[in-house]
Amino acid sequence: METFDDWKLVLLTPWPRWVVAALVAAALLGVVLAALGLRKERRLPRRAVLLGLRAVAMAALLFLVLEPGVRHLQTATVKGRLAVLVDGSASMDLPMGDGKATRTAEAAEYLRAVAPALSELEKKYTLEFFRYGEKLAPVSGPEAAVEARDEATDLLGALEALPKGQGGRRLAGVLLVGDGADNAALRDGMTREARERLRALGVSVSTVSTGEGRARDLAIESLRVEDFAFVRNTVEVEVTLSAVEMGTLDVPVALRQEGEVVAQKTVSLGPKQPRQTVKLSFVPDRIGEFVFTVSVPVYEGEATSANNSETFVLKVIRDRVRTLHVVGRPSWDQRFLRTLLRNDPNVDLVSFYILRTQQDQPRASENELSLIPFPVEEIFEKQLWSFDLVVFQNFNYRPYRMDRYLPNLRKYVEEGGAFVMIGGENSFGEGGYEMSPIAGILPVEAVGAAPNESLFAPRLTESGLRHPVTQLSGGPDLTRAAWERLPQIPGINVTRARPGAQVLLEHPHVVAGGQNAPVVAVMEVGRGRTMAVTTDASWYWSMVAAQSGEGGSRHYERFWSQAIRWLVRDPDLTQVRVQAAQRSVPPGTPLAATISARRPDYAPAEGARIEVDLVDAVSSAPIARKILEAGPDGTARVEFAPPGVGAFKVIARAELGGNALGSGQDVIAVRASTLERSDTRARPELLQEIAELTGGGSISSSTRRLPEMRLLEPEVVEVGRSEDRPIWDRFWPILLLAVCLGGEWVLRRRWGYA
Amino acid sequence: MTRRKTFQIGLLALLLLASPKDAPAFGETSRLVFVQGRYEGDWNPRPSALRRLAFELGTRTSIVTLPQEKVLPLDSPELFFYPFLYLSGIGPLPELSRAEVENLRRYLTFGGFLLCDDAGDGAFAASCERELARILPGRPVGRIPSDHVLFKTFYLVQQPAGRTLTRPYLTGVVEGGRLAAVVSSNDLGGAWARDELGSWSFDVVPGGEMQREIAFRLGVNVAMYALCTDYKDDQVHLPFIMKRRR
Repeated sequence: METFDDWKLVLLTPWPRWVVAALVAAALLGVVLAALGLRKERRLPRRAVLLGLRAVAMAALLFLVLEPGVRHLQTATVKGRLAVLVDGSASMDLPMGDGKATRTAEAAEYLRAVAPALSELEKKYTLEFFRYGEKLAPVSGPEAAVEARDEATDLLGALEALPKGQGGRRLAGVLLVGDGADNAALRDGMTREARERLRALGVSVSTVSTGEGRARDLAIESLRVEDFAFVRNTVEVEVTLSAVEMGTLDVPVALRQEGEVVAQKTVSLGPKQPRQTVKLSFVPDRIGEFVFTVSVPVYEGEATSANNSETFVLKVIRDRVRTLHVVGRPSWDQRFLRTLLRNDPNVDLVSFYILRTQQDQPRASENELSLIPFPVEEIFEKQLWSFDLVVFQNFNYRPYRMDRYLPNLRKYVEEGGAFVMIGGENSFGEGGYEMSPIAGILPVEAVGAAPNESLFAPRLTESGLRHPVTQLSGGPDLTRAAWERLPQIPGINVTRARPGAQVLLEHPHVVAGGQNAPVVAVMEVGRGRTMAVTTDASWYWSMVAAQSGEGGSRHYERFWSQAIRWLVRDPDLTQVRVQAAQRSVPPGTPLAATISARRPDYAPAEGARIEVDLVDAVSSAPIARKILEAGPDGTARVEFAPPGVGAFKVIARAELGGNALGSGQDVIAVRASTLERSDTRARPELLQEIAELTGGGSISSSTRRLPEMRLLEPEVVEVGRSEDRPIWDRFWPILLLAVCLGGEWVLRRRWGYA
Repeated sequence: MTRRKTFQIGLLALLLLASPKDAPAFGETSRLVFVQGRYEGDWNPRPSALRRLAFELGTRTSIVTLPQEKVLPLDSPELFFYPFLYLSGIGPLPELSRAEVENLRRYLTFGGFLLCDDAGDGAFAASCERELARILPGRPVGRIPSDHVLFKTFYLVQQPAGRTLTRPYLTGVVEGGRLAAVVSSNDLGGAWARDELGSWSFDVVPGGEMQREIAFRLGVNVAMYALCTDYKDDQVHLPFIMKRRR
């Protein structure tokens, strides 16, 4: 026999709803008509009796028509789901206060204490345990939930990720245990958007705060700096420090570039000013990518030292090529080069032309001349390193006693500067440079032969065919054709290439030291580059070429523009490039980079052998090495296992067919701390706000009890069969109908109604 | 004279001969060579003017010049080897042919410089300005202000002067950010010219020899401008020039 444990009233009528509605309306109409018919009746008792009889009759009629009954049911109660979220982020590893247990231990202790209360709830709810941090992860039970390891905390994300309905079972509520140290959407507090997202959860969240104690800690809370800076322009790094329970102290903040201090300031922190922002400024003097570290001392008793330093990578780029143009005497060669440099928006030109020598007689006093003294010491002692490129054009250094400054010029090039010497009667051997301190940085050396003044067409060498300096057109054939169409030029300083130099253009006939005399030669010197143009007539490639209509001055401009770019190491013109996947990574992240190798003609170096080293950027100590092969596009990808915290360089050297293609490097900073570890503050007030917004309760873990949780009651659902029992088919509704209708009729007749 | 002394003197002579001195420029092409433009008419009213200017340039400045000017027609492709062109005349410059106009247009656009020097009463200057409007259409011929760098490229010149003071200013045309042509109405060549005996060919009025010196200084400045363009406008020079101008 089936047992039923619930019932409900139902209507068993077979009539459709509109018929039922019509019948109800008809019954009501019957009562209303009776009322209208009795409106002239002044005797209230009679009116009441007749109306009452009519109403009861209509009700009985409806009862019979609607066929009410009782439905007996079999039901079951479905347990709701109660999600218990426990904070598994790294901040839970911090102590509750000085000498106290960690927040994780506190959470574990709390869950043990409330275990009986949770067991009681299991009668009505299924408990589901999760660990949250960067992401939400289901775990088997409270013990597995308590583990601090995620490097970020996303409270809102975790709540939104909770499955709302599983197998038809809805979420009745959430119990969240943690320190509230969110560094995602709630990092800056409860915004309007966050409030809307919390309300949209549709479930109450009750919270338990495990971090009210304040651990002693000095932290670099945040760092603001641009991704890139211009060389020789001031860079500002904004550092925000926060101190908790540190008392009053003066904190030295240091900014280091690969180990070397470039800026330093002292900041005062105390109970009245626990947060301070300081700006550190410095001026980078080289282009490239560099790792910088901002650090403060680690004081005794600090909760963590991971947030006492922060690293970042800064890319220093050139804004314009700052060029020093020194000319021995005005000439057309100087004039056309000046016009090109002045018109180039990428060049910041500083010029000094010798307009008058000791032998010249202007026949005027100094006040009548616009001439200025040539500031040799100012330029070559103090300002030299501010230039990216130095050009000596037919310049005789001897009258200016520059012997003592030329070593600076050599050092400048060795340390990364670029230098060009352009021919004339005062250049190269003719200018006495062979015996000077800069002889060794010139790509050519004197051979003791007099300048050759005859007209000639410079010839492109094999190196020149591929080198970016002499690329006048797309591809070697077009480049050769372009050079051959240029006008002949008169005069070169007769020299020969120095060992290690590359000759790009040569004289077709004049031979010096067993080789054709160079016209354009380049050389790598230390970290810098130099170029020699042994003619003072390159301007012919502009003005004279314009007469013949061969592209006007286009080739002249291209030659010099390419030369400048190559000399100052424009990244687009390097054969081997290294590009880090990310320049700044959290701890534990593998270091990845892509290396691209190009042949001397700048085509992809497919099959090139690439040796990649990971080294410490500060100590240059090698850490790991990998050997790769470049793919069809000339690139290869490398990944190194996480090396720990610090600054690192990925240095690649490529070779193809036994010929070196060059090298490149990039830097990667592995941050000392993530946001999770840098901000140690617990935020119980945030947890309280979450509870209030969602209708939950909030409590401290120290109470060792559950908060007031407003959980949804478990659902009751119908299961199995049901049985309907009519109640309309009793005798009394019919009797009532008959008595009421009959009684009304009798009374109407007795009282004289029609 | 003993053998030893002879030997010593010879050695000394050898040393003197071998001592370094300024080497000459590579050749003609690395020097400043003036080209005088030839046209139908009295194209050379002041025959020795350019030679004299070249000489003065060579002695007063570091510019190395070729003493003898070249003469070329205005439609000659050879002009492009010599970016400084001098035109002079007394009467009006005849209307240039199409070939001359196109050649000069290309010449000035790609870096050439033109100095028009009126040796008469202004008709030549006016006709030069007319032709410049054809050569460089859309680039108006305008007055060169007194603070233009042209007046401070070497000397600080207050006002242009030549053999005469017909017009107290110069006019010019700007192309590619520089003066591509300068027109003088004051007979600069007349102040520069010297006869075969070394005397000045013409008197300078009204200022006399002082005015002639200014004419030479202006000539030096013009040549210096052609070679150095706006070099003296560079920031580093400004404080010195301002101080001297006070």
